[in-house]
Amino acid sequence: MAVKKIKTKDKHIKNLATIVGDASSILYQKVDLLAYECDGFTVYKHSPKAVVFPKNTNEVSALVKYCSDNQLPFLARGAGTGLSGGAIPLNNEVIISLVKMKKLLNVDLENRLAVVQPGYVNLKLTNSISDKGYYYAPDPSSQSCCTIGGNVAENAGGAHCLKYGVTTNHILGLEVVLPNGDIIELSENGILDVPGYDLLGLLTGSEGTLGIVTKITVRILKSPESKQTVLAYFDRVDDGSQAVSDIISAGIVPAALEMMDKTAIEAVESAAFPVGHPRDIAAVLLIEVDGIAAGIDEQINQILEVCKKRNVREVREAKDEQERASWWANRKTGFGAMGAISPDYLVQDGVIPRSKLPEVLKRIEQISQESGLRIANIFHAGDGNLHPLVLFDARIPGETDKAILAGSACLQACADVGGTITGEHGVGIEKREEMRFVFNDEEIIAQTNIREVFNPKNLLNAGKLFPTPGRCGEIKQVMKEATTVS
Amino acid sequence: MSLREKDLGKGPACTTMKSLSNYLWSDHPDEKKWADCTHCGMCLESCPTYELTGQEQHSPRGRVHLIKSVAEGKLEVNSHFMEPVFACLDCRACTTACPANVDVGGLIEEARGQIRQAMPLKGWKGAVSKVFLQGLFPHQNRLNSLGSFLRFYQKSGMQKVIRKSKLINIMPQHLVEMEAIMPEIQPSVRQKYKNENVIKAKGKTKNEVAFLTGCVMDVMFSDINDSTINVLTRNGNDVSIPQNQTCCGALHVHAGDRDTGRKLAKQNIEAFSGAEKVIVNAAGCGCMLKEYAELFREEEPEWHEKALLFSTKVEDISKYLHDTGFEKPKATINKRVTYHDACHLAHGQGVRNEPRDILLAIPGVEMVHMQNSDRCCGSAGIYNITNPEMAGAVLESKMENVPEDVEMISMGNPGCMLQMAIGVKKYGRNQKVVHTIQLLDWAYQKEDGIEGKDIWQ
Ligand SMILES: Cc1cc2nc3c(=O)[nH]c(=O)nc-3n(C[C@H](O)[C@H](O)[C@H](O)COP(=O)(O)OP(=O)(O)OC[C@H]3O[C@@H](n4cnc5c(N)ncnc54)[C@H](O)[C@@H]3O)c2cc1C
Ligand code: SF4
Ligand code: SF4
Repeated sequence: MAVKKIKTKDKHIKNLATIVGDASSILYQKVDLLAYECDGFTVYKHSPKAVVFPKNTNEVSALVKYCSDNQLPFLARGAGTGLSGGAIPLNNEVIISLVKMKKLLNVDLENRLAVVQPGYVNLKLTNSISDKGYYYAPDPSSQSCCTIGGNVAENAGGAHCLKYGVTTNHILGLEVVLPNGDIIELSENGILDVPGYDLLGLLTGSEGTLGIVTKITVRILKSPESKQTVLAYFDRVDDGSQAVSDIISAGIVPAALEMMDKTAIEAVESAAFPVGHPRDIAAVLLIEVDGIAAGIDEQINQILEVCKKRNVREVREAKDEQERASWWANRKTGFGAMGAISPDYLVQDGVIPRSKLPEVLKRIEQISQESGLRIANIFHAGDGNLHPLVLFDARIPGETDKAILAGSACLQACADVGGTITGEHGVGIEKREEMRFVFNDEEIIAQTNIREVFNPKNLLNAGKLFPTPGRCGEIKQVMKEATTVS
Repeated sequence: MSLREKDLGKGPACTTMKSLSNYLWSDHPDEKKWADCTHCGMCLESCPTYELTGQEQHSPRGRVHLIKSVAEGKLEVNSHFMEPVFACLDCRACTTACPANVDVGGLIEEARGQIRQAMPLKGWKGAVSKVFLQGLFPHQNRLNSLGSFLRFYQKSGMQKVIRKSKLINIMPQHLVEMEAIMPEIQPSVRQKYKNENVIKAKGKTKNEVAFLTGCVMDVMFSDINDSTINVLTRNGNDVSIPQNQTCCGALHVHAGDRDTGRKLAKQNIEAFSGAEKVIVNAAGCGCMLKEYAELFREEEPEWHEKALLFSTKVEDISKYLHDTGFEKPKATINKRVTYHDACHLAHGQGVRNEPRDILLAIPGVEMVHMQNSDRCCGSAGIYNITNPEMAGAVLESKMENVPEDVEMISMGNPGCMLQMAIGVKKYGRNQKVVHTIQLLDWAYQKEDGIEGKDIWQ
C-alpha cells in the first residue's frame, strides 16, 4: 500500500504532506506520478509535481493557500475521465485529487435535492436513491466512474440531456475553494434565483479554472413511471438524420435520441457489449421515450411511423428491461470500444444544427479520406452534439499529429455550418486553438478578464480553455513540445 | 528462454533476449494487450484496490499505463514499479468492466514475471514462496503427508493444546486466522481412487469426463472433491482422475514464477491428453487451465497450440452440469442461501447464472441477493500473506455485503471459501460457507436417506 514515511528532501512535498496529515495521502515518487500524467485525453502528457488527497474542505483550502503563497501551479482532478485534457498537469502542477471526498452528505426527498462531495461518483447517486423512486438526470456515458465534481467543471451532458438538460440545469448550490484558499458558498440552501450575477452558472463548466468545487447540491428527479426504447437501422445516413428531425418536429421530446454510424457500429460490435447490430447498415438510431405510462405507446407508434416513412430497414422496441439495458450498455461503452478496432482514438465534440448532419458527415468522410485515418461517429442526434472519433496509432510516427489536425478539421466543419466546438467535453488543452473558430480576440480577452478576477495569479489550471490572444502559432509549437517531452 | 543467472553480470543482453525497452527478459508484457487500452477510466470503479486507495497507480488503468511505460523506457523494473503491480488482486473485475476487452490480468501476470526475474524474492517472503510454491504444491506425496499431519494435528488433541497454549501467538496473524477455520481434513480423493481407472456413472453412461482434483483442494477440501464425483456420476458421467496430473500453477503464475507455471502446465496438458472434457471445481484452477496458452506465447511456442486445444476442453463443474443437464433433487434443503461470485468464475470465465440456477433447482433453497456479489473477497492466492493490510480491507467490505439473515454463503472456489470463513469468524457472523456442488450433493444424499455432513464445525 501507500508509502508510510516521506522520503524526500523537497520542502514543499513535506509541507503539503503535513497539511493532508499523513504520508499515505500524498504521492511524489516517479512511478506513482506517471500514472497521473494524463486523463482520458492521452495526446499530451506531463508528470505532476505531487498528487495530494485531501479529506475535507479545510484541507483543500489549506493546500490551495499553500500553493498560492508559494507560487506552485496546481489543479483539481476527479476521476480523470475528462476527454479534453483538463486534468493534465502541463505545468508540473500539484494535483489536488478529490477522490477521497466521496461521501453522499444528504438526501432531501421532500425538497428533491441531494448534497454530495465532489469525488462522489455520478452513478452512485442514482443507485442510492433509485429504490425510493428518484434519480439524478445528467448521465454522461462515463457515469459509472466520473465524479460529480468533474461533471460540474465540464458541465457534463449525456444521452438523456435532450429532455432533461445538462449538468448546469441540475446544480442548486456549490461550495468552492477560490484560488487564494478562501471558501465561498453559492446559493447555500439550494435556493436558486438569488439576486445578482449567476455565479453558479459561471462556475459550472469553467473547467476547473476559477476554483475547486468541494460540495455540490444537486436536483434529483422522480423516476419516470415508464420508459420504452426503440432501435432503428437505416441504410442511408440521410434517412436516419431526417427521421431524427421528423421525430422532433412531430412534437415528441424523446428522453434520448442517439445515432451511431457504420464505423462506430463496427467498434461496439467488436468490443465487450455487442448486441448484434448488422455490420452493413449506415446508421443505427436509439430512441427512448419516458413519462407516464399512458402516453408512451402513442409516442412509440408515432416514432415507428416516422422511421418507416424514412425507409428504415428494421425498427423494433426493446422486448424487456434486459434488452433495453444491453442496448444502452452497447451505446454507452462506445468510446472505450474504439480500443477494440484501433490502438488510439481522439474524440471530438462538435455541436451542429440537426438539419446539417448529412452535410457535416459528408465533410467528415472527406477529412477521413484526406488524412488517411478512419473516423467513427457517435451522435447525440437529438441535440446535435456530434462526436467524431478519429482512429489512429500513436506508435506510427506522425500519426498523432495527423489525428490532431483531422480532429481540428472536424470542428472547423461544425463551426462552418453555424455550430460550435464543444457540446460537453470541454475545451481543456485540446480545443484551445479551436476557440478561435467561434470567438475573436476581444471575446477571448473578455473571458480571460473574468478568469483574472477569480484566479489572478493564474496558478490554478493554467494554460487550459483559452488560447493566448494573437499567439496561435506559438501555442501550437508549445503543444508540440509538450508531446515530445512526454 | 529465460535469462540465466550467469548472463546477469554481462550488462544488457537485450538484443539476444528479445527485450522490449526496459523489459530485459523474454516473455515480456504483450504489447497487443495494452494497445487496446484507450485510457478511458471505465474500469476504475470496478477495482477493489482503487476503491480503497483512490490512487491511480492502484487502478487497472494506472497499472496498464505503468506496464506500458516500462516498455516505452520511461520506467525501470524496480521496487517502486513492483508495488502497484503486486498490489493487484488479480481479481479480473476490470476485465468485465472494460469496454475494449483489455486483458489487464494477463498484463499484470506478465509484468510480475519480469519483476521476479529482475528481483528474485529475498527474506521471509522468498522462503515462504520457496517452501510452498516450489517445495509443496507441485508434489502430491508431500501434500498427502501434510494432509496426514493436519489430520493428526486435529485428531490427536494437538490442535486443542496449541490453541490453548501461547504458541499460537507467535504465528503471523493470517496463519492464526487460517488455523482457526481449518476444515476437518479428510483423506484426498486421489489417494482414495488411486487404483481405479474410471469411476463409473450410476446408471447409464452419458459422457466421459476427467477431473482435476487440485492440489491444496484435495488436501483441505477433499470432501468437495467427493461431492463433485458423486454429482458427476449421479448424472451419467464416467469420471477418470489422471494420476500424473499436478497443481494447476495459478499461484506460481500470480507470483511471477512463470517457469514453474510452464512446467506444471506441460505436465497437466500431457496428463489430460486423452480426455474430452476436463472438469474443475476450483474457479482459480479452471481459469488458469484455460489460460495456459498465454504462458507459451514466447517461451516454448511449440506448446502454444496444444495449450489452446487443452483450454477448450476445460469446464467449470457448475457450467458443465448446467449445460449437459442434471437431475433435480427431490429432497428439500430449507436454507436461506446467498451466492458469492468467485472472481475467477464470474470475471475469469464468465460463469454467473449457472451456479445460481443449480442452487435454485434445490427444493427449499431460498436465494438472497448479495450486493456487489462479484466483488473480490481478498483471498487471491497468497495475497493474504503478501499484502495483509489491503486483503483485510477488501475482506471487510465483502463481509459488509453478506446479508444478515442468510444461513449459508455458497461459491465455487476453495480459496474464497477459506477467506470467507475467516471473514465469518472475524466479524462474528454465523454463516456456513459451502461449495455450490456440495449443496447439490447434500440434497441428493438426503434424497437417498444419507445424512448430509457439515464441513465447518
Ligand atoms: C468513455 C467516456 C465517455 C464519456 N462520455 C461523456 C458524456 O457522455 N458526456 C460528457 O459530458 N462527458 C463525457 N465524458 C467526459 C468526462 O467523463 C466528463 O467530462 C466528466 O465530467 C469528467 O469527470 P472527472 O471526474 O473524470 O473529471 P476529471 O477528468 O478528473 O477533470 C475534468 C476537469 O474538471 C476539473 N475538475 C475536476 N474536479 C473538480 C472539482 N472538484 N472542482 C473544480 N474542477 C474540477 C479538472 O481540473 C479538469 O479540468 C466521457 C469520458 C469518457 C472517458
Ligand atoms: S483498461 Fe479498459 S476500461 Fe480501463 S482505461 Fe483501459 S480501455 Fe478503459
Ligand atoms: S485485477 Fe482486480 S485488483 Fe487488479 S487491477 Fe483489475 S480490478 Fe484491480
